[in-house]
Amino acid sequence: MTALLSSPTRVPAKPRRLALRAAWTLVGVLFIASFWGLDLEWAKLWELPSDVWHYFGLMFSDPDWSKLPEALFQTWRSVSMAWVGALVGVVLATLLGIPAAEGVGPIWVRLPLRWMFAVIRAVPEVIIAIILLTVTGLTPFTGALALAIGGIGTHAKWTYETIEATPTGTGEAVKAAGGNRMQMVRWGLWPSASPELMSLGLYRFEINVRTSAILGLIGVGGIGDMLTAYTQFREWGVVGMLIIVVIVVTMTIDAISGRIRRRIMEGAKSRDLDRIV
Amino acid sequence: MIAALAAFTALTTIPALGGVEIDLESIARNWSNGAQRVGMLLTPDWSILPRTWEPMYQTLSMAMVGTVISAALAIPLSLWAARPTNPNGLTRRAVRFSLNVVRAIPDLVYATILVAMVGVGTLPGVITLVLFDIGIVVKLVSESIDSADSSYMEAGRAAGGTQTQINKVTALPQSWPVMASQILYSLELNVRISAILGIVGAGGIGRLIDEVRGFYRYDALSAIIIEILVVVLIIEVISNGLRKRLR
Amino acid sequence: MPERTTHAEAEGTQPSASVAWPIELDAVTVRYPNGVVALRDVSLSIAAGEMVSVVGLSGSGKSTMIRTINGLVPATTGTVTVGPHVVSKLRGRALRELRGNVGMIFQGFNLADRASVYQNVLVGRFAHTPTWKSMLGMASSGDREIVLRALDSVGMLEKVWGRAGALSGGQKQRIAIARALSQQPEVMLADEPVASLDPPTAHSVMSDLARVNTERGLTVLVNLHLMDLARQYTTRMIGLRAGEVVYDGPASTATDADFEAIYGRPIQSRDRLGK
Repeated sequence: MTALLSSPTRVPAKPRRLALRAAWTLVGVLFIASFWGLDLEWAKLWELPSDVWHYFGLMFSDPDWSKLPEALFQTWRSVSMAWVGALVGVVLATLLGIPAAEGVGPIWVRLPLRWMFAVIRAVPEVIIAIILLTVTGLTPFTGALALAIGGIGTHAKWTYETIEATPTGTGEAVKAAGGNRMQMVRWGLWPSASPELMSLGLYRFEINVRTSAILGLIGVGGIGDMLTAYTQFREWGVVGMLIIVVIVVTMTIDAISGRIRRRIMEGAKSRDLDRIV
Repeated sequence: MIAALAAFTALTTIPALGGVEIDLESIARNWSNGAQRVGMLLTPDWSILPRTWEPMYQTLSMAMVGTVISAALAIPLSLWAARPTNPNGLTRRAVRFSLNVVRAIPDLVYATILVAMVGVGTLPGVITLVLFDIGIVVKLVSESIDSADSSYMEAGRAAGGTQTQINKVTALPQSWPVMASQILYSLELNVRISAILGIVGAGGIGRLIDEVRGFYRYDALSAIIIEILVVVLIIEVISNGLRKRLR
Repeated sequence: MPERTTHAEAEGTQPSASVAWPIELDAVTVRYPNGVVALRDVSLSIAAGEMVSVVGLSGSGKSTMIRTINGLVPATTGTVTVGPHVVSKLRGRALRELRGNVGMIFQGFNLADRASVYQNVLVGRFAHTPTWKSMLGMASSGDREIVLRALDSVGMLEKVWGRAGALSGGQKQRIAIARALSQQPEVMLADEPVASLDPPTAHSVMSDLARVNTERGLTVLVNLHLMDLARQYTTRMIGLRAGEVVYDGPASTATDADFEAIYGRPIQSRDRLGK
């Protein structure tokens, strides 16, 4: 066609973004190398869809409801672990997170604390539990403790980030009025940061509900314990029932906790409005 | 409100109801036993490291493959799950609901069941990671599309575009930084998760963790944990660096 | 259709082989789901190739009116006819085809800031491109050509590979005009195109629009709230107040009293843009 001839003459050359192309190539190479490293059996990959379909049928066509009471009991144990873990974790994380915020703690306190949080974040809860149970044994208490310690990593980070994001005005006012560091935190920062922190604490609980089921897999008790057992017995009807219980309970808790969180945040907003008006 | 929370807390600590028994006594009782193990944890046995390279490579491979596959699936799904990019309420809600269900099942539970289904190996591990990643990436990305300014969509509609065209040519580049950032985040999480997937038989270095724990080799265990820690932190640093360049 | 672009013309212009379309509103009423009546029984007839301003305060219904013409807002009762099409009867693909023939620019530019200028202008080719081609990112050489020419005609060719978000307000609106031009439309709609711009930029964008009307012969309908712009750049003016037409006549000879009737209050300094 004549397209080339009739193009505007001064079309700038499309910049070749070499860095971007190199990045994509690297991703591609890494992907292929990784795929290689998986050592997959291709035959299995082929059978995968029919396999999954087969087991789906076994699990959900006729879930075994006779074990429901035990499942609910174990679910409550998992939820309890999640709650106690969240509560202890949030309290510890708040106490440790506040001094780690800029403008609150001095740098020689902030940096080591932040490093500690990063290290805790890097360790999966399951491993924390494995370490803990050398001392505390295979009990739900171990699970709760593991959740609490694991929660410190993330929640303390959220805490200092939230505090750093809150306007410094009230804190400075308390300082100007002659308050010490503790008073500044209590009367200056805490009131404006606490709704968000409470909301994040509830979010922590939602996450813990999922993690506590995982901790059951290593034997600390709760719904995860039951799931492993019946999966090993290959009693698929019971496994199907357990999965349904997990889904329903988790989604219900998410919904309730989500609603409370929205209420907390809206309450905070209207309180801010009161202050302005 | 506070009373309700206190009551709930009390309920969760009654052992008879299945609650958590706060058992400080057992710590005291197990202390001598535990102290010895803690002592072993504090003296890592580095001689295990050569045995970790291969499973660690497997772990990182699973994380990478899981991230790429889930990203390929999560990008269209997040456009389907957000209101501006999918005005059709029916399909939007269907996508959101199914992803809520997927997210309600914890990662290691998937792994346990999949191992029983397709056998020990990396395959159940990768599937677990893909399911987990899709759940969080789609949720976070679609929420950010929902809250972002989408006035550019009106121009696409006014020009006679289909929703698919608008999504591909404008919404995709517009939301790409958020997507890329969440995909990197899922890579970080994947490294952490795939390190423990082996505990239930889904491949990677977790298998070794389970093994040395079985032999009470706590000194070797702590070497492996420190190795995982270092790898996770390195991945986090790389991913944070990449994320800063996304603008 | 591609024939339009195969003949190179003088720099910065593009021939329009198409005939502009007339617009006809017959007893059009728009009531929003929340009960607000934005347009009341509006009847209008705009000839092909006219340059018309729609003047009114915000809330007078001018944004609604302009959107009934490309079907972004459906008329509750009455009929809107654009060229050979009755807008209210169109659905799906037919509606998209009509929209493809009607260019539109917006007060807020409505560009995807993180996408490139090129991608943003390519939006104008949507109605002429099968969806699967857009999916694969395959723009035909004809489309590419049209996009580059449209950018050239608004003097923004240099920025074609840059990010839209990096541009100034005036530049963004030029990109938006290029996007509308790349549709090769028969009708051009503009909803407060200069309300977010400083006075000199506003004047140059208005001249661009006037040029679209004179050089390509398009029917141009532009919403304004500033009286001097309406007088200077358009030939016919329609005054809207509370969803009803209160003035319809030549723009240049409209008196201050006419504007006071449209605004429903004495003229204030903010009703003029100035230089």
